[in-house]
Amino acid sequence: MHISEGVLSAPVLVTGAVLTATAVGYSLKKMEHKEVPKVAILSSVFFVASLIHVPLGPSSVHLILNGVIGLLLGWVAFPAIFVALALQGVLFQFGGITTLGVNTFNMAFPAIICFYLFNRGVRGENNFIALMMAFVCGFLAVLFSGIMVAAALVFTGEQFIQVAKLVIIAHLPVMILEGVFTAFCIGFLRKVRPEILNV
Amino acid sequence: MKNKPYLILIFTFLIIMMVDISVFAHKVNIFAYVEGGKIYTESYFSDGKKCINSKIEVFDDQGNKLLEGLTDEEGMFSFEVPSEGLIIGDLKLILTASMGHRAEYIIPANELGGCVAGLTQEKSEEPIPTVFPEISSFDLKEIQSLIENTLDEKLKPIMREIKKSQEDRISPTEIIGGIGYIMGIFGMIAYFLSRKK
Repeated sequence: MHISEGVLSAPVLVTGAVLTATAVGYSLKKMEHKEVPKVAILSSVFFVASLIHVPLGPSSVHLILNGVIGLLLGWVAFPAIFVALALQGVLFQFGGITTLGVNTFNMAFPAIICFYLFNRGVRGENNFIALMMAFVCGFLAVLFSGIMVAAALVFTGEQFIQVAKLVIIAHLPVMILEGVFTAFCIGFLRKVRPEILNV
Repeated sequence: MKNKPYLILIFTFLIIMMVDISVFAHKVNIFAYVEGGKIYTESYFSDGKKCINSKIEVFDDQGNKLLEGLTDEEGMFSFEVPSEGLIIGDLKLILTASMGHRAEYIIPANELGGCVAGLTQEKSEEPIPTVFPEISSFDLKEIQSLIENTLDEKLKPIMREIKKSQEDRISPTEIIGGIGYIMGIFGMIAYFLSRKK
């Protein structure tokens, strides 16, 4: 999912950077004082999640967790993901500094879409529905990210449908895993720390 | 028993920490070496998977594209060192794998041995007969190619070792350092937010 340096054309990079800067600025303004520790912890979670590889078949996959982060943070998912991606770029050369804007947007925007789509369901009374919603949320967040990566790559001359198919097929196991993990997280939080979800 | 969920959480965390974190698939790597007038490249994702059917482009140091090709099933791609006239300096190989992955590898001009040396060889041919009249330039070339072949053979395992050591590994120090940075950054944000109020 991390797009490397030097792949995208300048207009795509600039668009990504501007969108991300606007969103980060907006959400930092919106961020409440008492939210900061939560954002910091989830940013760390995102940072570490990409480093842990789960062996699966011939290759290995890693979690992205943008679904969970979106559900728990809403708009402030943007600064959380931005900081984590910046550090991954600097420390491990995942993605890169010039592609930071595009990469952040590709992962954080689906998180926010999922927040608006599933916020109600996950925080609702019915436990079973909440878990199902959490699964779909985790699944869709990765799917949307894949589509956005494909869209960003279109401008480099690759065929949209082809790239989208490739990205989505490659991430299908991740989507399922992510869904299960998101459901597990939400289930756990509902039981142990319902106040985080404001249930 | 009130603390049971926390114990489970800590336990899962410990298990996660034990999972091998030395491999990851965010990056592609390309490794290239010159051997007997040919350039061999190997491309692989950082979790060890080979890049199949990925495009490799070769540029000279002026940014002119010399040639391009696709990697095979083993992630390998090889080509003849471009003809002498074209080589001005370092060669840059750019690997473009799917899904926005990209890597570069630079072969310095002096490693392109065969060709560049061949050029200087031809230039210095005049003075040689005066120093060693008994050795013809043909012999010299033969000796050179012999030495090269032997060296290539002997250096193969070393090349493999170098390639292995180039594969990136994430150290736990870096991960913990990264988490530290995140905490620091958000600590600063918290500080500025608290000053505003």
